[in-house]
Amino acid sequence: MPDDSLITLTGLSQSYREGQRTHHVLRGLHLEVCRGEAVAILGRSGSGKSTLLNLIGGIDRPQHGQITVAGAELTSLSERRRTLFRRRHLGFVYQFFNLIPTLTSEENVRLPLELNGWGPDPSVSAARAMLAEVGLGQRATAFPDVLSGGEQQRVAIARALVHQPSLVLADEPTGNLDAETGEQVLALLDRLVRDAGRTLVVATHAPRIAELADRVLTLEDGLFRTGPAEAKL
Amino acid sequence: MRLPSKASLRYLLRHPWQLGLTILGIALGVAVVVAVDLANSSARLAFKLSMEQLSGRATHQIVGGPTGLAEELFVSLRMAARARPSAPVVEGYGQSRGETLHLLGIAPLAESGFREHLQQAEALPLERLLSEPDTALLADVTARRMGLEAGDTFTLEIAGEDHRLTLLGLLDTDNGSAAGLDGLLITDIATAQVLTDMVGRLSWIDLQLPQGQAGTAARRRIESRLPEDARLVRAGSRQRSLMQMSQAFHTNLTAMSLLALVVGMFLIYNTMGFAVLRRRPLIGTLRVLGVTQREIFAMIVMEAILLGVLGTALGLALGVALGQGLLDLVTRTINDLYFAVTVGDVMLTPTPVLKGSALGLGATLVAVLAPAFEAARTQPRHTLTRSLLEERVHALVPWLAGAGLLLGAAAGGLLLAGDDLVLGFASLFLLLVAVTLLVPLAVVALARACAPLLGSLMGLQGRMAAREVHASLSRTGVAIAALMLAVSTTVGVGVMIESFRDTVRVWLGARLQADLYLSVPGLGTTRAESRLDPKLVQKAADMAGVADVMTLRSVTQETDAGLVRIQAVRASGHAEESYRLKQGDAHQVWPAFRDAKGVLVSEPLAYRRDLGPGARIDLHTRDGPASFPILGIYYEYDSGPGVVLMHRRLYDRHWDDPAVDALGLFLAPGASAQVIEERLRPIAAASGAQLRATREIRERSMAIFDRTFAITEVLRLLTVLVAFVGILSALMALQLERVRSLGILRATGFTPGQVGGLVTLQTGLMGLMSGLLAIPSGLLLAEVLIHVINRRAFGWSMQTLMPADVLAEAMVLAIASALLAGLYPAWRMARIDLTTALRTE
Repeated sequence: MPDDSLITLTGLSQSYREGQRTHHVLRGLHLEVCRGEAVAILGRSGSGKSTLLNLIGGIDRPQHGQITVAGAELTSLSERRRTLFRRRHLGFVYQFFNLIPTLTSEENVRLPLELNGWGPDPSVSAARAMLAEVGLGQRATAFPDVLSGGEQQRVAIARALVHQPSLVLADEPTGNLDAETGEQVLALLDRLVRDAGRTLVVATHAPRIAELADRVLTLEDGLFRTGPAEAKL
Repeated sequence: MRLPSKASLRYLLRHPWQLGLTILGIALGVAVVVAVDLANSSARLAFKLSMEQLSGRATHQIVGGPTGLAEELFVSLRMAARARPSAPVVEGYGQSRGETLHLLGIAPLAESGFREHLQQAEALPLERLLSEPDTALLADVTARRMGLEAGDTFTLEIAGEDHRLTLLGLLDTDNGSAAGLDGLLITDIATAQVLTDMVGRLSWIDLQLPQGQAGTAARRRIESRLPEDARLVRAGSRQRSLMQMSQAFHTNLTAMSLLALVVGMFLIYNTMGFAVLRRRPLIGTLRVLGVTQREIFAMIVMEAILLGVLGTALGLALGVALGQGLLDLVTRTINDLYFAVTVGDVMLTPTPVLKGSALGLGATLVAVLAPAFEAARTQPRHTLTRSLLEERVHALVPWLAGAGLLLGAAAGGLLLAGDDLVLGFASLFLLLVAVTLLVPLAVVALARACAPLLGSLMGLQGRMAAREVHASLSRTGVAIAALMLAVSTTVGVGVMIESFRDTVRVWLGARLQADLYLSVPGLGTTRAESRLDPKLVQKAADMAGVADVMTLRSVTQETDAGLVRIQAVRASGHAEESYRLKQGDAHQVWPAFRDAKGVLVSEPLAYRRDLGPGARIDLHTRDGPASFPILGIYYEYDSGPGVVLMHRRLYDRHWDDPAVDALGLFLAPGASAQVIEERLRPIAAASGAQLRATREIRERSMAIFDRTFAITEVLRLLTVLVAFVGILSALMALQLERVRSLGILRATGFTPGQVGGLVTLQTGLMGLMSGLLAIPSGLLLAEVLIHVINRRAFGWSMQTLMPADVLAEAMVLAIASALLAGLYPAWRMARIDLTTALRTE
């Protein structure tokens, strides 16, 4: 494994039972992603993009193969260790935002900091700074249900980056936004990730996102259609 | 507060109805248990304290036969056996201004060192009590209730006779002795002897004997000088026996209150389950962000503890208030059935409060364990959809049913394992759990059966209502089970009471064969030793139109195995045969009975002491202990101590007690009961006796029966109330969870009325299912209550009756509760804001 490699997937396979039928989602995937790289994974609905993101994020375990992220062999970690790993090293952005509806914007952003042991004062300052960064400095006390879709996704981006994770995983981050708002959110995500030198893996079927990525991989029938090394745009 | 907990708590606060109902559910469960416990313990404590006041510092007592002790014995023991300190006592019961007073006649000069309350103040006019006849002392609390002050005169009724007494002074209860002194009426011994018609006799003699060898020597010295019919016993042993007698009654009440708590637990489980289910996305997000399973589990448990603490605190407050109401019912029942006890207010002792707190918190924690595990197991990814959860539950249904059958078998095994009452209740509760585990399977079957039927009757709405019950089994199953459990309790207890009522009615019909009865008005035969005027007995027997008489004498005796009531009966015909035999051949038993060759034993006594025909029973007679052969066992539904029934001839052979306390008159054919009643009534009244027609006795007995079960009815209603709160909470949560799908229905063209109708139909269907399932399980419960619990608690056997009205009531109750509980969700869902509903994930 090269020194600058953040993610290494080796022979990754995953399948689901659907009644009597087995649906093979991933069939022996291999992939390496370098630190600071932005990778886009394209594919149709049901092609396994989200499954792959869940596996890289340690949310799910593969049936076969190995996943190494930031030097940690995720497949050998217990559920608890994977959770603690996620807490420290990962940030997530989802299509449906997944903000905690009963926490304000600021509290949502503070959540990863608190989980990582930050005290109240530094976490409040950092969360406010991050909200200002995403242009929501004035909406710190607002609950998610009064924010627009674009604002909610910006809070989600702030929450994904505030604890300076090594890796940000984004699953259809603009899928629930109109074109203009999606564009703004995407630009924000790209800027923040690159400014902070973070690694980004984004699952999407929007070509515009792919244009921002350093590398684009297309998932089809459980495999990348082109080799991981050559798909750079 | 940490942010995940804050997020979770805010969720609860955003659903105030759900939060309120959960807290109310816990509170009601705790309140019922605490109230029953407080009422029980207050009544027992009051009795214990009054017993201590009565016995004072006496270590031993000398007790006599049916007519007590001759008063000369006291003098001779003091002189010859140096029985000092010692104090004579005459005891009785009377009524005045609606209060039952416990009369205690004492000798003030001998009292020194015995009863603390009499030492309390020089202000007490003990000398006047001694020198002025018809004077008395009362506790200040009792006098206040009766509207009396020192110097007032009042009327005391004892055994049908009115006596005028002057209240000389008040016993001070400020020092915390109110419970023990409340209801106690103290007079000089001579006054008490006149009031109770015991001139020259004593109820007992109190003694203070030293411990160790000196005590043994003193006991021997005293026993050697006692007449054959007198015995030396430890102080308070009679009262302890009385208290033991009411133990089964208290156990039954406690079990009923626990049933309310079990229903409350279902409610907590249901609500917490919903709270977790609705927060799956939130919990999923927290898990993605790095909150561990353990932290999620702890968060849910902490939440439950918070709810448990709030609910328990409210429950304790409610319990004290409810306990006061129940106390009146409990003391009334104890007074009707067992012994006289006066309790003004509930006594707030730490045990019921601690027990209630532990039960409330414990039940909440037990109920929340499964939802907390479910929450912790929630996968961080959001792929675990509701349908997958339901699939899991449906896969569990056969396993749950299997577990139910196994538990049912275990409950059956426990029933057969022994005769213990607590074991009986344990198997009863196990059986209820077993039945509950079968509910999901029954709901699946009923929903499948209902869908086509409702579809053909009501179209799409009907099919949807049935399918929704089936599709949301994880939640509808629990709600239906909770309501079913509460309704089966009402069926079980209702059938038991009706069966018992019918059994008692038939038994009274068979027992009360005479046309008229003469008796001494009293507070029950376990207390006042009463007797009819012999001249009245003779006059009644000789009266024209009276063909036959049956005399009865009833005395209570303390034996080594507890209290027994000895009843001596004599009839010139074969009227004794109105005592229906349970065991023994009537052709042999009755001739032997009339020949005074042995005794009959009542069913409860035979059950408690494992006696049968051929065995013997030991009693204390005039000539010392004697053993009597048992000829047979007869049915008896009296709540007092067990009865040993013997022919008067046998009684006279062993006791010097010519008294008769009840007389049954059989009229000659053609004689008018009304005429004889009119002729006899003034003569009876002049002797302080009461004359009653059989019908009147039957009616009064049934009235006492109904009064006795009033508290059971109250507890039954409270259980239904807890279940109602449960079903309301469950239905609200269920409909709130469906807000999006109902929003889609509205968007597709359902009118608000149709959505409301759909919700109502679904809740009505759930009520119907609960009712249908409650009937077989309620009947099963009734069988166990009748043939196991009542038998083990009281020794009674009875026939099961299938009262149609109880079953119909159960169906109406189940459907009406569900419909009523569904009203608010239906109203809310019909007025749903479409944009919000469709945005809700």
